[in-house]
Amino acid sequence: MMRPIMLKGHGRPLTQVKFNREGDILISVAKDSEASVWYSSNGERLGTLNGHSGAIWSLDISPETDLVVTGSADFTARLWKTMTGECIHKWDQDAPVKRVEFSPDGSKILIVTEQAMGQKGKIFVYDIDYTKNEQSTTPILEIVNEDSSAEKFSVAGWSYGGFYIIAGHASGKISKYDAKTGELLNSVQGHEQLITDVQFASDRSYFITSSKDQTANMYSVDTFDQLKHYSADVPLNTACITPVKEFVILGGGQDARNVTTTAASEGKFEARFYHKIFEEEIGRVKGHFGPLNYVAIHPKGLCFASGGEDGFVRLHHFHKSYFDFLYDVEKTALATQHSTIDA
Amino acid sequence: MSTSATSWAAEEVDLQSQITENPDGTKTIVSYKLNDQGQKIKVTQKIKLVKVTETVDPAVAARRKWSRFGNEKSNTTIGPDNSTTIYDTEVQLILGSSWKQDALKQAEEDSKASVKKQSTLKCRICQGEHFTSKCPYKDTLGEDAPGINKDSTESDASIISMGAGGASSYVPPHMRSRNGGIASPDERRERDDSTTLRVTNLNSVVDEEILASIFGKFGSIRRVTVVRNRETRESKGFGYVEFDTIKNAETAMEHLDGKGFMNLILKIDWSKPKK
Repeated sequence: MMRPIMLKGHGRPLTQVKFNREGDILISVAKDSEASVWYSSNGERLGTLNGHSGAIWSLDISPETDLVVTGSADFTARLWKTMTGECIHKWDQDAPVKRVEFSPDGSKILIVTEQAMGQKGKIFVYDIDYTKNEQSTTPILEIVNEDSSAEKFSVAGWSYGGFYIIAGHASGKISKYDAKTGELLNSVQGHEQLITDVQFASDRSYFITSSKDQTANMYSVDTFDQLKHYSADVPLNTACITPVKEFVILGGGQDARNVTTTAASEGKFEARFYHKIFEEEIGRVKGHFGPLNYVAIHPKGLCFASGGEDGFVRLHHFHKSYFDFLYDVEKTALATQHSTIDA
Repeated sequence: MSTSATSWAAEEVDLQSQITENPDGTKTIVSYKLNDQGQKIKVTQKIKLVKVTETVDPAVAARRKWSRFGNEKSNTTIGPDNSTTIYDTEVQLILGSSWKQDALKQAEEDSKASVKKQSTLKCRICQGEHFTSKCPYKDTLGEDAPGINKDSTESDASIISMGAGGASSYVPPHMRSRNGGIASPDERRERDDSTTLRVTNLNSVVDEEILASIFGKFGSIRRVTVVRNRETRESKGFGYVEFDTIKNAETAMEHLDGKGFMNLILKIDWSKPKK
């Protein structure tokens, strides 16, 4: 049994929630224009980041938790001081910003812009200077989607060391770009439909992608081989890899436009736990009454947060039974290891 | 212990409290005080002091002291504010490859429990769900009603007393049987333990499944239990295995008694009935 904390900071569907490196701070963004900063231990709201004039699609927190970057439908990405909530910089773009992420060392950010308004979908990389507020507005790298709009970027993230940028496309394709030169290194048609999320394992050497085609896949950054495949019965919006325990958490639900015609009990608005190795579903957590748009796991695996289409963030602190859980084969392996009775 | 509300006399009696240091690190405080009726009451308190040391990252500790900003700037609530933070009802996360069946079973049990709850209240006159004294048909049906003064054919927990004239309807817990009626003494020991083995000196990591897997080789098993601590669910190091036949239980005992399993030597004997 877990007692979730419901965080009611937003009036519109959540788009992303993220923990900082230590896991004590949780930041959520939604389709309303204010980001909320929370303490993860008790769900207290520390403050809001006010300034955007449109839906905020994405956020990220710098490794030291001193800065936050957000990307919004108002054609800007903004940089904030986490401590005071003050906006210190703004990058103006020509299209809505769909995704932002700090590189693992925090020295750069990537910004994914939507392919819309006659603009091509692009990934920009900017340098971040921690010593001053004003940041460089000239990107150090620009990756442009030269293909049709069906191939536009939907999500992107940094691999280990910030060496590569992994991008997910609307067509279900996953690409690996060199983060220095922007050269396309590898590409694989991993899914059949829009890739909704890409999240990395804690060492960033492999990642999980989720897609509207009701599946989630795990890939190695180096070889780009598909390591694992998880299938669900609803379109997936998000997937994350848990540290400590060998699980993945998938989130999704029926499309927003069909939600009003579905009962919450049938909508499958649950966080699904799969075993990372055996690819089998091992449990679900109920609670949302809309699809899950994002799930994030505490960096030490102590709790997970889910942001839903219903406007709530639900923060679940795991109980002991979660950490004690062992798969049947893991148990027997443990037993035979110590056993002197031969089978 | 509050002494503020009591008189000076009680306070004086209170001074006679004895503090004993137990060998396991706990303290037992025995004190006496007077209650409202002037009776002397013995109060025994057992106290265990636990020192909890928490190590916090300095950066995290610094962030804990940040002042609020944005929409929360003028909020002076200490700790989480009810308007943004709600502690929701508990949710269950059953982990396991059979989580679906487990969840179904749980739901079934819940519905069963709710049905039971409903049936605990039953009117003796009209069989409705209210107290007999509040029955709307009390005057019209009266004492000649079908339910009254007759022994109920169904074994329903609700109707405990059938006796007229308001004889004591209380049945002490140990006299109650499972289905609600009065249990006959021989009915109380319902389980036949003749095929049950008691397994002691088990490693604490051994659970029911592992136990079943090693005993399953000697015959079909009806029931496996590992005795656990009620709070921590940690194994107490012993358990019970019930076989289908005494013969199988005997062979299992022959083969496994005194054998090493997970670093400990198993001890197996027949389960002894409780006295």
